[in-house]
Amino acid sequence: MKNLRWVLLAVYGMLSTLPLLWLASTAIKSRVDSIATTAKFIPVGEGLGIEAGSVRFEATLEGFRALGEIYAGAAHPYYHYLFNTFLIGSLSTVAAVSLGTLCAYGFSRFRILGERDLLFFILSTRFLPPLAVVIPILMMYRSLGLPNTHLGLVILYTAFNLSLAVWLMKGFIDDIPAAFEEAALVDGYTRWQVFLRVVLPRALPGMAVTAVFCLISAWNEYGFAMTLNNRDAVTVPVYFAGLQGNVQGMPWSQVGAGVLLFVTPIVVFTVLTRKHLLRGVTFGTIKQ
Amino acid sequence: MGERDGGAELGDHWLKVGFVAPALLLLLCVNVFPLFYSLWLSFTNADLIGSGAVQSVGTLNYSFLFMDPRYAEALRTTALFVVAAVSAQLVLGYGLALCLQERFRGKAVLLTLLLVPMMMPPAVMGVYWKLVLDGSYGVLNHGLAFLGFGQPQWTTDPGLKLLSLLIVDVWMWTPFMLLISLASLNAIPTYIYEAAAIDRAGRWRVFRRITLPMSAPLVGLAVLLRSTDALKQFDLVMAITGPNDGATQTLSALLYQVMFRDGKVGMASAYSYVVLVVVIALASIFLRYLNHLQRRVGTAS
Repeated sequence: MKNLRWVLLAVYGMLSTLPLLWLASTAIKSRVDSIATTAKFIPVGEGLGIEAGSVRFEATLEGFRALGEIYAGAAHPYYHYLFNTFLIGSLSTVAAVSLGTLCAYGFSRFRILGERDLLFFILSTRFLPPLAVVIPILMMYRSLGLPNTHLGLVILYTAFNLSLAVWLMKGFIDDIPAAFEEAALVDGYTRWQVFLRVVLPRALPGMAVTAVFCLISAWNEYGFAMTLNNRDAVTVPVYFAGLQGNVQGMPWSQVGAGVLLFVTPIVVFTVLTRKHLLRGVTFGTIKQ
Repeated sequence: MGERDGGAELGDHWLKVGFVAPALLLLLCVNVFPLFYSLWLSFTNADLIGSGAVQSVGTLNYSFLFMDPRYAEALRTTALFVVAAVSAQLVLGYGLALCLQERFRGKAVLLTLLLVPMMMPPAVMGVYWKLVLDGSYGVLNHGLAFLGFGQPQWTTDPGLKLLSLLIVDVWMWTPFMLLISLASLNAIPTYIYEAAAIDRAGRWRVFRRITLPMSAPLVGLAVLLRSTDALKQFDLVMAITGPNDGATQTLSALLYQVMFRDGKVGMASAYSYVVLVVVIALASIFLRYLNHLQRRVGTAS
C-alpha cells in the first residue's frame, strides 16, 4: 500500500512535469534537433561532434535569438506581442483589483439590499462562455471603434476578472476585523478616510494575491483576444496560434523559447502564491 | 463582523452606492447588455461584414439550428468531452490527493510542482502540445516506441483527435481536482479517524464511511466548477485540430465557425443562445450548491 502510493506519485509527477521539461529542452535546440525522429534530451556543449541517432544534442540559443526576428505569417517579432500582453494584462489587472476592492468593501461592511443575489450575479458572469458573448460584444465594439485596440481588451478583461476580484477581495476583507474601522470612525475619520488609511493597508496582501490571479487569467486568455484583436494589439496566445499552418512550418525551437519566456512569470507567481492557490481557483469560496 | 451600517447616516447610503456601483455598472455594460443584444440579433439575418440592412427573420435561425446535423454532433462531442475529461480528472486528482494526505518532507514543494500545469495558458499549451503529440517527432511517440508500443497518429487520426484533446485537458486540470480534493480531505477532523481506530474499523470501511462522504461536498463543488469550464472548451480545439474538424468540434468551436468563417451573425447568436441555456442551467446548479454549502458551513461554525 505504502509503496504503491509512492509509485503512483512518481509516475504521475514524471508524466506531469515531462511536457514542461521537454519545452525547456526544445527552447535550447536547433531547428533540426527540435523535430528529430529520435528523442534528444541530453544537452551538450558546442563542437563535440554528435553521431546520427544520438540522444544528445548541441545546446544553442538560436531559438531565443530568433525571437527578435519577424517570422513568416506574423507582422512583428515576438516581443511586440509580449509587450501587448503585458500592457493589456497589467492595465486590466489594476482596474479589476481597484474596482473589485471597492465593491468587496461595500459588500463586506454595509448592509446592501439583495446582497447575496448581487454577489451571485457577479459570480455568474464568470460562467459565460467567451464565444457565446463575443458576438454582441464585437458588434458593440465596432460601433465604438474598439476592435483591435488595447483599450478594448482592457475593458473586457477588467469586466471578466471582476467576478474573481470581488469574490476574492470579499474573502480577504471579511477577515479584517471591523474594530479598527470603528475606532477610527470614533476618532472622527470619514468613511472614505477609514477605507484609505485603515482598510487599504491591511487589504494589501490580499490585493496582491488577487492581482496575481487576475493577471494570469488575462495573460492566458485566448477566445476574446483572437476574435476581437486579430490585427492590432495582438497578444501572445493569438500570435502562437497564428503561426500554425504557415508556409515555412512551425519554428519549434523558437516557439519553445517564446513559450518558455511566456510561462516563466506564471510559474514564479504560482510558487509565490502557492498558499492561496485554493482560494484563487475557487473564487475565494474555499479558504484554508 | 462587527458594526454594519453603524452610523446609518444619510451620507453612508450614497457612500455604499459609490463603493458597489462602479463594478456592477461595468458588468451591466459588458456582460448583461450584450446578452440582450445577442437575443435580438438571434432573430435577425445580421452578418459579419455588415452588408445590407439587418432584417428580422423571426424564428428562422432557431428552426435551422435544430435541423443542422453539425449542431447535434457538436452537442454530442461536447457532452462526451465534459464527461470523459471531468471524470478522468476526478479519479486521478482524488487518487493523488489520497496519496498526498500524509505529511512528509518536501510535500509542499512536490504539491506546488504538481499544481503548475493548471496555471498554464491553454491556447499556448495546446500549440506546444502538438509538438509533444506529433506522430513522427513527438516525444510521446518516442516514449511509446521505447516501451515497444505502436505509433498512434494523435493529431491526424480522426479516432484519436478527441483523445488527444482529453490528454491535454487532463494534464492541465487534474491538479485542480487534486488541490480541492486535498483540501476536502484535510478538512476532516482527525478525532473522527481516531474514534474509528478505537472501533477497529477496517481501512476500506473507514474510507467508505468517513473519508468519502465527508470529502464529497467540496469535491462536488470542484466537479461542478470544472464541468462548466470544460463545457466552454475552445482554446485546445483551436490549437490542436482547428474549429471545423468534425471529430472535435465542440459547441464553442461550432460557434466560432458559424460566426467568423460563415459570417452568419444572426444564426451564430441563435446557436449561442442555446449554448447559454445549458451554461446558465449548469451555473445556477453550481451557485445553488455553493449557497447551500456556505450556509451549512456558516451554521456549523
